Amino acid sequence: MSKGQSKAEILQGTLDLMVLKTLQTMGPQHGFGLAKRMEQISTGILDLNQGTLYPALLRLEQRGWIKSRYGASENNRKAKFYEITKAGVKQIQSEQQNWEQTVGLMERFLRLAE
Amino acid sequence: MLAFWKKLKATLFRRQAERELEEDVRCHLDMLIEENIQNGMDPEEARYAARRSFGGVEQVKETYRDKRGFRWLDSLLQDIRFGIRMLRRNPVFTVAAILTLGVGIGGNTTIFTVIRAVLLKQLVYSEPDRLVYLSTDNARRNRQDSPFTLTRLEEMRASSRSFTGIGAFLSSAEDVTLSGTGEPEALKGSRISANFLDILGVQPLFGRSFLPGEDTPGGAPVAMISTALWNRRFGADPLVIGKTVTLDSMPHTIIGVLPPDFQFPFAGVDIWVTRPSEWSRLPPRYWRTVTLLKGFARLKPDVSLEQAQAEMVVLNNRYLAAHPDFGAVPGVTMRVARLKDRLVQNVRPMLLTLFGAVGFVLLIACANVASLILARATSRSREFAVRAALGAGRGRLIRQSLAESLVLAAAGGALGVLLANWGLHVITGMNALDSPTRVGALSVPGAEQIKLDGLVFGFTVALSMATGILFGLFPSLRISRPDLVNVLRESGAAAGRGSSGRRGVLRVSGRSLLVIGQVALSIILLIGAMLLIESLTRLHSVNPGFQTANLLTAKLALPPNRYDTDQKRAAFFEEVVTRTKAVPGVGSATVAMSLPTTPWIRTDVKVKEQPPADPNEVPTVQLQSVTPRYFHTLGIPLRRGREFNEHDNTPTAPPVVIINERFARRFWPSYPRQGPIGQHISNGADKSAAWLEIVGVVSDVHEGGLAADAGPEFYVPIAKHTPQTAYLAAHRRRSARLGRRYSQPGASDRSRSTHL
Repeated sequence: MSKGQSKAEILQGTLDLMVLKTLQTMGPQHGFGLAKRMEQISTGILDLNQGTLYPALLRLEQRGWIKSRYGASENNRKAKFYEITKAGVKQIQSEQQNWEQTVGLMERFLRLAE
Repeated sequence: MLAFWKKLKATLFRRQAERELEEDVRCHLDMLIEENIQNGMDPEEARYAARRSFGGVEQVKETYRDKRGFRWLDSLLQDIRFGIRMLRRNPVFTVAAILTLGVGIGGNTTIFTVIRAVLLKQLVYSEPDRLVYLSTDNARRNRQDSPFTLTRLEEMRASSRSFTGIGAFLSSAEDVTLSGTGEPEALKGSRISANFLDILGVQPLFGRSFLPGEDTPGGAPVAMISTALWNRRFGADPLVIGKTVTLDSMPHTIIGVLPPDFQFPFAGVDIWVTRPSEWSRLPPRYWRTVTLLKGFARLKPDVSLEQAQAEMVVLNNRYLAAHPDFGAVPGVTMRVARLKDRLVQNVRPMLLTLFGAVGFVLLIACANVASLILARATSRSREFAVRAALGAGRGRLIRQSLAESLVLAAAGGALGVLLANWGLHVITGMNALDSPTRVGALSVPGAEQIKLDGLVFGFTVALSMATGILFGLFPSLRISRPDLVNVLRESGAAAGRGSSGRRGVLRVSGRSLLVIGQVALSIILLIGAMLLIESLTRLHSVNPGFQTANLLTAKLALPPNRYDTDQKRAAFFEEVVTRTKAVPGVGSATVAMSLPTTPWIRTDVKVKEQPPADPNEVPTVQLQSVTPRYFHTLGIPLRRGREFNEHDNTPTAPPVVIINERFARRFWPSYPRQGPIGQHISNGADKSAAWLEIVGVVSDVHEGGLAADAGPEFYVPIAKHTPQTAYLAAHRRRSARLGRRYSQPGASDRSRSTHL
């Protein structure tokens, strides 16, 4: 468990932002809907084991960035719907800045190396 | 913070969280399968594809569980659940351990509660640090904390600049008979200065406090009552203010009700009246000059205790110089102490000793339970060895066995709280039983505040946990290092016996340590208990000096306006004795100013034929005034001379006195070979009296209770010293049965009404 942590942490960081952003644009979603949407957006680049979403959702909920409640799906199935909170929106903003900084930095280095 | 609560919730409600996870996963898989079927897969294929795109279901769940709650708390709860199961399987061990711990924890909780209420809690008065307590000491006569005179109080009030106010109270509580509404009732009363509430900074619950005018001779008879009395006797009726009740046959108007926890100057007082020096036991001519009062005062904000003490030294010298007649008792100094310190002075050592004792009891309980656990651990060594072999770490094993200890300790703590609750009832009950007349000033303060509350409960919880760790850690350290090879090699049948050889020796040494500690602690407790029992048996073997069997007593209180002269009072007492003797079954009867164990009076004496070597050395002895048949009725043996006769008990008769043997030995070293009969003494309390002729010597009586030494004492006929309240004592003939009315507190009212 402790060995894989550092790798999982990096993945989690990006996964968190992806989940939050998807929830922000799409509104309340159940796990399956969320997974499908993310696969659509990533157009297959991201080979996501859909199950790994759930620990990520738990983490986001514990932090208070998303909240969940039970509702009915399109097929009238009882499912847990996840929804972004105000704190989650704020988190997206700060994460986005970080991300853009990192990307900008990387771009500069890569151009320098050419 | 939010994450913490969510995690805690998920840990505590594990089953619900598990169900939700299960549902989420199934729902997701079902949706995947449905979609796959819509896309044209057959059901079997659809299910397979769904599993593949979801990933390892159990793996996901396990990751999820790790993050969901607190793993450590979860496994701790598991340990506790397992511990409870194990304890249930051994009911005898469990009950024994819980009872032992319950007694230990209960005792500690009880004493801690008392200590907190009495020693640790602040006084309920405002700015308690500025309150001081005033009394006198006499190093030369080895007397501490003695009362002073009204004259001294007045002079202190006139000249002292250290205090915002000085108050005083009659140094012993009075037993007061309340009548007028319903059954007469004997209550504990206090006489106190009108300004007492101002000094203490307390507001009456209802009504008003005393007015200054009521604290002067001839002031209106008014009284304040306790909340307890107000509830019990007056049904908490606010209209009680202005009601008239009879206190010791004097009508008094109730002017106020004091707050519920008000306990000044004594615990358990129900009636407060003012004019502190007007003690009904003394003829009014003594009220200014006999040392009756103890004081209390509030320091001015800019005055320190030391400055006040220095001022009191000056005032004391001035007082001694100004009153050579009654004030000049050599060696007298004023004592100024903080009220708080003074309040607990008597009980502090006792409480701390008790705390030590119950602490030892708890340690012994811990040692007991530890050896029980160790003994059981031997039979469980195979279980632990198997767990260790399966990969349980040492920490895990310690935690497991500690969890069991904590479960035991928690159960013991719960029992302890129950026991403490019961113990506190007993203690406060004992305090209430405390005889109203035998309390030294301010004896057990704050008794009403002794109760279990949140802090005490916290103490108990902490104590239980500490106890659990204390008795659990040692055994768990031992059993957590099982000798795998040896234990497991033994056959199942032999496993119960535990390991042998080198480890056996070690185990014995560990246990011997426990046993040694236990025996040592037990011996300390045993010695303490033996000493207590020894003192108690000694106390029981003390001859009180009078016969208690078949003796009935009642208090007599005379209305001062009707019985305003010595003659009238003396005549009444004589009448009571005559009528009581006429009751069939009564052998003899007497009236006395005080009975053994009720407050007495001390006074200076001089012996005409034995002038003291140092003229400043004036001994004080106890004064008692009695009707002629006193010694006969109480069974006090006459050693020399004669008892008082009817002729002695008239105001005009030549003054005579009877002394006790202690008195005789003190002034006539050759007693009993040469008697003091026919010689003369003076009664310092009565300056008008001439020399009194000694007509008899009686044996000693423990006036102050069995624990107090019998001091020198002299007796005068009651006609020469006639108090406002006195005691009737009647000796019942062995076969006779008297009506209950003679033993009732209300008897004083009955006596009065027969006379009127």
